[in-house]
This record gives sequence, C-alpha cells and structure tokens, in this order.
Amino acid sequence: MTDLSERPSAPLVELRDLRHTYLDDTPRASVALRGVTLDIARGEHVAVVGPTMSGKSTLVDAFAHLLRLKRGMVFYEGQDIAAPEYDRAALRRRVGILFQQPDAQIIEDVVGKDVAFGPTAAGLPAEETRRRVEESLDALGLPYREYRLRYTHGLSGGQRRRVAIAGVLAMHTPLLVLDEPMAGLDPRGRGELVRVLQRLREDRELTIVVASASVSDAALLCERLVVIDEGRVVVDGPIREVLQDADRLLALDITLPDTVRCARELRSLFPDLPTELLSEDDLEREVLRRLEGEAA
Amino acid sequence: MLELQRNVIFGQYIDTRSLVHRLDPRIKIVSMWLFVIFSFLVELPGLLLSLPLLLMIHLIAGIDFRYILSGSRIFLIFLAVIAVFQILFYRGAFAEQNVLWEWWIVGVSVEGIFFAIMISLRVIVLYYVVTMLMLATSLVDLTDGLELMFLPLQRIRVPVNELTLVSVIAIKFVPIFIGELERLARAQTARGISFEGGGPIMRARRIGRLLIPIFLSGFRRADLLTMAMDTRCYQGGANRTKLRRMQSSSADWLVLGFVALWLIAAWQIPNLIGWTIP
Repeated sequence: MTDLSERPSAPLVELRDLRHTYLDDTPRASVALRGVTLDIARGEHVAVVGPTMSGKSTLVDAFAHLLRLKRGMVFYEGQDIAAPEYDRAALRRRVGILFQQPDAQIIEDVVGKDVAFGPTAAGLPAEETRRRVEESLDALGLPYREYRLRYTHGLSGGQRRRVAIAGVLAMHTPLLVLDEPMAGLDPRGRGELVRVLQRLREDRELTIVVASASVSDAALLCERLVVIDEGRVVVDGPIREVLQDADRLLALDITLPDTVRCARELRSLFPDLPTELLSEDDLEREVLRRLEGEAA
Repeated sequence: MLELQRNVIFGQYIDTRSLVHRLDPRIKIVSMWLFVIFSFLVELPGLLLSLPLLLMIHLIAGIDFRYILSGSRIFLIFLAVIAVFQILFYRGAFAEQNVLWEWWIVGVSVEGIFFAIMISLRVIVLYYVVTMLMLATSLVDLTDGLELMFLPLQRIRVPVNELTLVSVIAIKFVPIFIGELERLARAQTARGISFEGGGPIMRARRIGRLLIPIFLSGFRRADLLTMAMDTRCYQGGANRTKLRRMQSSSADWLVLGFVALWLIAAWQIPNLIGWTIP
C-alpha cells in the first residue's frame, strides 16, 4: 500500500497513454483506445462522454484490469495494476464496475444471493453481508423482503439492472465505474438511481466515473466532463466550462441536456446567452434577465 | 483478459474482396465437396499433389495465414495428439514393418509415421477447405448458394429453405456466443471470480457459472430473432423470391473445371507413374 500521507495529492487512479486494439494482428482488428491519459482524484466525480464506438467501454474495462494492455499503464493508488506481483483480486474488491449489459454481471440465480456474491467472496461475516444486501436492495427500490428470493432471470430488464447496481454497491468500493447506468431505466428509475448515487457520493466519499453517450445523465452526478472521441481525450474540464462550447460537443454526436440545446437555439434571440445551463431554473433566470434588460 | 475470439475462427467471414470471395457460392460449395470426396479417395502422394492448389486458393483469397493458424490452435493441438497415438499404436497391413523402436504394446515404425502423416494431412485438407469456404463466403451468399443447390429437393417436400436457414444461423451463432462468453467472463472477473489458476474442480465450477447465463442468453436471442422474423413477415418455403438473382458466369465454371481437373490429376497421376509411399 502506498502511504498516502507521503503523497497527499496522489490521484486515486492514473491512466497513462492507454492504447488498446481488439484482436490486433488479425484481419478483424479494431482500435478502441489511441492513447488516453487521465488522472482521477479521490472523491472526484468524472463523466466520460463520447459517441458510440469512441472507446468508453474499453476504458471502463481498464479500471479493473480486464484488458491485456499492450501499451499504457494504469495506476491505482500509485501502484501499477499490471505488475505481476500486484494483487488484482484486491483491486477488484475496491473498484465497482457496472457494465453496460447488466445481465453479464449477474452471477447467481436468486436476487439476494447475487447481491451477496461480492461481499461473500470478499470474506465478510454473514451478518454484515446480509445487512449490506438489505441496504443495497432497499436503496434501489427493490425491497429486500420482497425481492431477495426472486429469480434474477424472471425480472424485467430495468429490475435486473438495479440488481446489478445493488451487487456493485454492496461491495462498498471507494471507486464506482458506471457504464451507461441510466440505459433501460424509466424516468422514475433514473431519478431514483441518481438520488441513491448522490446520497452515497456524499455519505461514502465515493469516487465516481460515469461513462455515457449523454451529457444529461452524467451532469446529474459529475462535476468534471471528459469527452473522448475515436479513442482519444478531446475535451477535459469542469462540466459548465466544457458546455460553453456546445457546438463542438454536438459536432461529436453527443447528446446534450435539453436546457443546453434550448439555450443554444435561443441564441438567435439572445446572442450572448450562455449554453452551460444545467437546470431549467438557470435557463429561466438567464432568459428573464435578458428580457428585462430589453424592456428597460 | 482472455480474447477467445482470437482462437476461434469458425463461422467468421473476412472480406478481402478477392476473386475467391466473388466466386459464385455454389461453385465454392461444389468445389469444397470435390475436395472432401478427393481427400477420402487418395493416399499420401495425391494429398501432397493437392497442396499447391490449396496454396493457390489461399494466396488468391488473401487472408492472413497467421490469423488462420492462430485461430486453429486448438484444432492443431488436437490433431497432433491424435497423430502421436496413431504412430504409437500403428498395426499396419504389412507383416514386415521397419520398426524403429518398440516397447510393450507401443512402437514406432516407418509405416506408422507415414500413416499418421497421411491421416493428419487428410484431416488438414478437409478442415482447411471448410474453413476457407466460411472465411471467404458471406452469410447471405452461403444461404443463397445452399438453397439454390438443394432446391430440387423441395419438390419432394424437403423444407430446403428452412433447413439452410437453420444451419446457417447455427454456424453464425458460434462467433456471437464466443463474444458473449468473453463479455461474461470479463464481467464475472470484475465481480471477483478469478479465471486464472485453481484446481480442476474449481475450473469446472467456473465454467458452470458461465454456461447457465450463456444458455439463457442464447434462448433469449433465439426468441428475439424469431420475433423479429415474424414481425417482418418472414415465411419459408417454395414461394420465397430473391432480391438477387444468382448467375454463374463462364469464369465461375472455369474455376470449377480447373479445381476438378487438378484433383483428378492428383488422384490419378501417382497411380499412373507408380508413385507409392507405404
């Protein structure tokens, strides 16, 4: 373990020049990452946004060493996770990943057993495991008593996604990496998930990475926005700052929040209207201010 | 993490737009069958004489040989193991054998070695021809070709259309399953299952954990496919028409003739000149 007191500013995760090609040296090779360098500080909430095929999911895999990287390095708490002596099982207990298709990560056939899988594998006592399972399922709107004995494959797509999330949350990992967490959830489910994550973010001082094709999903949870395209980081900064250049994001085929799109359209009326507006209140305030200015 | 797709080329299609790719699929399928029949008719000299033709097809198709090789690793290891057994336990028709080494019930003889080479070569020719057909023929071409070839059977109420569709879907599901397996293994690793090391029982349990979800997703996929076909009003049977009419040009027939001639020559020449390897 790195002594943190020695390196107080050391980021939690450092990605250095990650490059990855699936099936390289074969006719079916496809390049996913072309050199991604990112630092993620402890407690930071980062959105990784990019169009489809931009390399988001590959990047997600890199966090838990699920790729055989030929070039590039990943450091967790300052340690190279590809080093032969590195304890990757321990790493995977500290990095919670939610995959794009939740079905892949549901291992057990019963909801309660599945959510308990991680804590049990980590060797937690039964009482603590049960507590965590209950807490995680309840937090996601799947009441423990009602759902713990349900079969996972009998659930709906949205429910399975929640079970997968509960399985990740039950691990109490300091880092959460979520790949398209909102996909397949209805608006209410989205709202609930965002609230759960917002609460956990504060309670557990979580570091969160959200990979998504839509800025609106990510904006609810993150303050920093990293845009990747064709396997490279093209923009990186505080979310409001990045949204100032809405045109560039649109050109990259990224879904922007409705308020940003609206503000962009309203620029034909108010050329100086900012686009980095994340809530309807912000938009209303800015428009009203300009209307009052005109009236005066 | 594991990249299984690297080691399995079954059911893949690699488009290099070569002459081999553009050939009429029926010609390719018939040529494949010629190779299959040929490989059972001939002995070692004939098989050796067919290799230049295979090499020619390979070069024209322009598919990276290393890719085929790395994708055939499991097959080749299997073949090598079989060959070793054949050499060790060979009891040929000849009473007199040039025995090189003998111990208890196993032994190595010159005849045994040649026999093992012949059998291996026969299997390699078979495997290679089928692999090449798959790598160089798209799904659509393969279906259309097979269907047209067996169309006459439709008259005696053989459901040709359905049968070809089912077999082609089965072939093409293989790569999908492998991709799925990779995804599952990755997700399960992230949740704390280690796919490296462990005794045989541990390994078996891990594979069990993969098999159930893979079957479930297979059924789900099959369901979806059926529904998709239903919603688009798919109907099998004799009344289906084709968007593309398949027409073989004289060049296609020329290729078939060339392959047939080469194989007949490779079959007969060793007999004529009395070239035999034990």
